[in-house]
Amino acid sequence: MKVDEIRIGDIVGADNVSTTHETCMIYSKDVTSLPDMAYQIISPKFDVVTQPVDVPSLQNLVWYALDNNIPLVPRGNGTSGWGGSIPTRGGICVDLSSMSRILYFNEFEQAITVEPGITWRDLLAFLGRLGFTLPVYPSSATAATVGGFVASGGLGIGSTRHGNILKQVLGIEAILPNGKIVRLGKVMLDPKSDTLQEKIEEGNSWLSQELTAAGLGTPEQESKLITGTYGTLGIITKVTLKTIPNLQLVPFACSFYSMTDLVNVATKIISEAQPYYLRFLADNYTSKLRVLKGHELEEGKYVLTGALLDTIYQNEDNIERIQVITKEENGTTLDDKRAWFYWDERLYPLRIKRHGPSLVPAEMLAPLEMLPDILDETKAELQKSKVAIEGTLSNDGSSSFMVWILDDERKKISFTIGWQRSFQIAALAEKFGGLPYAVGLWNGRHAKKFYGDHTYKELKIMKKRLDPNNLMNPVKVFGGRVTAGRISTTFGFLVGFIIALMGGGFVPSLLGWEWLTQLMNSSLIQAFPVPLLLLVSFVGGFAGIAAIRLMTLNQALSIGIPLLRVLSKILRK
Amino acid sequence: MTKMDFLERYGQEDEPYVCASCGNCTLVCPVFRELKWESYGPRGKLHIVKSIIEGEGEFGEDFAHKIFLCNLCEHCTSVCTTGISLDRFWEVARAEVRQRGLMPKPAQFVLDSLKARGDIMWMGSADRLLWMEDIEAIVKDRVMKSAKVAYFLGCNVSLKSQLHDVARSMVKIMEYAEVDYTILGDKEICCGAPLGWAGNFEGINEMAEKNLELIHSLGVETVVFSCPSCIQTWSEYSRYLKEENDLELLTTSQYINRLVREGRLKFDEQPMVTVTYHDSCISARVLKVTEEPREIIEDIPGVYNVEMTPSRQSTRCCGAHGLLDVVDPVLSSRIAEMRLRDATVTPASRIITECPRCILAFDLAKFTTGYDMKVQDITQIVAESLSPNDVGGDEAK
Ligand SMILES: Cc1cc2nc3c(=O)[nH]c(=O)nc-3n(C[C@H](O)[C@H](O)[C@H](O)COP(=O)(O)OP(=O)(O)OC[C@H]3O[C@@H](n4cnc5c(N)ncnc54)[C@H](O)[C@@H]3O)c2cc1C
Ligand code: SF4
Ligand code: SF4
Repeated sequence: MKVDEIRIGDIVGADNVSTTHETCMIYSKDVTSLPDMAYQIISPKFDVVTQPVDVPSLQNLVWYALDNNIPLVPRGNGTSGWGGSIPTRGGICVDLSSMSRILYFNEFEQAITVEPGITWRDLLAFLGRLGFTLPVYPSSATAATVGGFVASGGLGIGSTRHGNILKQVLGIEAILPNGKIVRLGKVMLDPKSDTLQEKIEEGNSWLSQELTAAGLGTPEQESKLITGTYGTLGIITKVTLKTIPNLQLVPFACSFYSMTDLVNVATKIISEAQPYYLRFLADNYTSKLRVLKGHELEEGKYVLTGALLDTIYQNEDNIERIQVITKEENGTTLDDKRAWFYWDERLYPLRIKRHGPSLVPAEMLAPLEMLPDILDETKAELQKSKVAIEGTLSNDGSSSFMVWILDDERKKISFTIGWQRSFQIAALAEKFGGLPYAVGLWNGRHAKKFYGDHTYKELKIMKKRLDPNNLMNPVKVFGGRVTAGRISTTFGFLVGFIIALMGGGFVPSLLGWEWLTQLMNSSLIQAFPVPLLLLVSFVGGFAGIAAIRLMTLNQALSIGIPLLRVLSKILRK
Repeated sequence: MTKMDFLERYGQEDEPYVCASCGNCTLVCPVFRELKWESYGPRGKLHIVKSIIEGEGEFGEDFAHKIFLCNLCEHCTSVCTTGISLDRFWEVARAEVRQRGLMPKPAQFVLDSLKARGDIMWMGSADRLLWMEDIEAIVKDRVMKSAKVAYFLGCNVSLKSQLHDVARSMVKIMEYAEVDYTILGDKEICCGAPLGWAGNFEGINEMAEKNLELIHSLGVETVVFSCPSCIQTWSEYSRYLKEENDLELLTTSQYINRLVREGRLKFDEQPMVTVTYHDSCISARVLKVTEEPREIIEDIPGVYNVEMTPSRQSTRCCGAHGLLDVVDPVLSSRIAEMRLRDATVTPASRIITECPRCILAFDLAKFTTGYDMKVQDITQIVAESLSPNDVGGDEAK
């Protein structure tokens, strides 16, 4: 795709645009190392990376992309691993990390409004100085942006008390795929510094009509369009979040010899002590970490770690309660030093990667009580792989369940084949009532289940209305056609060619289709300089290419994953 | 395809793959914060290395230059999720840049100067005595004398006139406390640190050893340094120190704090000075010396320390470390300005630090930004706060 760097530079500022190979390559990655094969169905890199610094220039950029039919992909700091911020069809990467101001804070309303590119760490530091904190933030807080986490949705630190991040969002401002600026929910700003009011009025009234036409509610009620939809329906430009008082934080940690005991204790702690945060580390996680300094003490045990965030009196009672519950279930309460150690470690779940050096991740949402069974089956299914399992517990009886499969991407073939294990775990967890934890790019096949039939239908209708050309983060969540690479194109050609060759050669005589054989031998066709069979095969080959090009990503995955699974069974035996 | 077997030679071949791409390093990197494109930050550079290994990129001049756009400030290393020793990685990459003849010219100049003159500024051993002007009578007899304590000035303090007062202050403190000390004078040569920054590991041990031989011959037990990088370099590279590690290496603040605790330094009440202590990268992150300077400041009556954000082990680089000040002085100065701004938002009227390069960087940034703020080494504020001599020294013990 040809992009006009100068024109884009005029829009976002010449210093805020880059088309260098290196920059485009780097911004096209997220935390997941993909096997080379993946680039046979998505494009390997963006054509241009931009770093807009304000809403008007971002709006102009969206208009420019719309006029020129160029895909746009919003990006925070690329810390997610579900492919949401990587390119599928090249186009423009919209790096929002330069829009990172704090715009409004009101301690009485307990709300803060920020630009999307601020990191959770910086936001927490700001609030901490004022005696406040956040009800939920991701364990990637040191680098993830507010916009990135709100666009993805999910559990984080604080979710054991407060649930999903999406419940903490009071309002958002976003630029829709058609360039209109809208505010959903309640965006709090100082009216004197709110320069966008006119544009918002226009955008919101247009959106109201669209929502009504689609049978949906008002913009105030429909934040779900933009939160948790991975930037497919708009680019978030402001977020108003709930804040909470930063009361006394008391971390705790307990160790167990069985996952069942751990789950029993976790269930009781959640109902009796309402902790702020609870995380579990399975035996295979703690045993792998032992070689890293400071992790040796609970080697091979199941660890439940968390924190209370409450008044001193409440905390005193609850800590005692936790100790009693732990003892009742054959667990050991660890001392304060270990508890603080695990609290500090909450931001470093990826330490485990040292043992890879590569990781194939699989993350699911599963009912808490099913965790021991899922854990056992996962271990059984992945006996031949090195795995480490951990997760975060929510307040609604569910838990995120992260399976880190350790591998080495330098071993190209086995790494590619081994990728199917991620999908294998997803299938396994589904058997126990689990769901994929996130959608992004790779779990688009599960989007309906993830959002629920009804919501998914609504989102799909709105995607069609807001983004008829499918330019805003294409292929994510809603699927779409693959971008065929050289190998997949060749593969398509070969398959088509062979099928046609067989079809034109042996099959007619095998099936006794005399008329076809006669036609092939007819003098009319003999007049062609190229043997007919070859011609037919070529036609088949080109049909194969066309089929590959028309294939959607979800179809490609539905074919590719079982294929890899078979290969894996053969080769890993 | 570019060969990258140097990574294996230095045991670094896994590191680009171990990187989890979490971005922690990028967000603290001073170079990234200034240039804002990932290709200048640590995570991005590791991606580039990976792409070169995979045959999709080039180890050319552009990459070589990027490898030198780095302060070797250890900030990325200190936050790395997967425990990659990123500073080591960058140094190893610099060694390869040198091997391939792609050194940026200013870095090559530093190497040439070290070879020809034994310092980084193309001066010479005679110039290492200039700082003694005015106090010659006091220090003359200390040069190359047998003593328990040696004061090692380092190239910057010895050779840069702006920093001569740092050495004079340290002398004043040691004289006050009646320390049995020695200095190497014109026999002192560079500690070797810039060699490592310029990718020449082989020469470091030799330079360190030349100094250490002298120190050893004088019966020294403790070496006090005005520059934390000298300590880091000797600890990492000197074979002598690895084999015989009974030599104590201390920063000036560690040593002064010891003197204060021993009651050998007494201070006069100062007229209400608010200072902010800037932790130098190597002191804080490598040597873990963060409390000693604060304890000293707390002991000087009338001097109050307010903390900058960030501070201690999360401190920000002044921009002058790792040869960035010579390779890209403009970028280096912009980084210094950024750190200076952290200081100017505090109520402090003075920055105290214990690294000569930080002082030089802030002095320049003061000039470019117009911020009016005094910048001092810890030795300077201590020396000027000492009570009249008769109550110090042994009598005070
Ligand atoms: C160490 C570590 C810990 C993690 N912990 C958690 C955790 O506790 N919980 C959890 O759910 N995830 C977690 N993650 C995954 C990831 O960090 C989060 O999803 C994170 O919020 C992504 O933020 P980001 O700024 O990096 O966004 P990116 O990864 O850049 O983007 C994520 C998605 O959001 C979209 N997007 C980004 N910004 C905007 C915007 N302004 N407007 C619209 N769309 C946008 C992108 O297109 C993409 O689809 C973790 C990751 C790591 C590396
Ligand atoms: S050493 Fe400092 S300047 Fe260099 S990459 Fe790391 S953080 Fe950036
Ligand atoms: S902090 Fe370490 S693991 Fe994370 S991106 Fe940087 S180098 Fe990679």
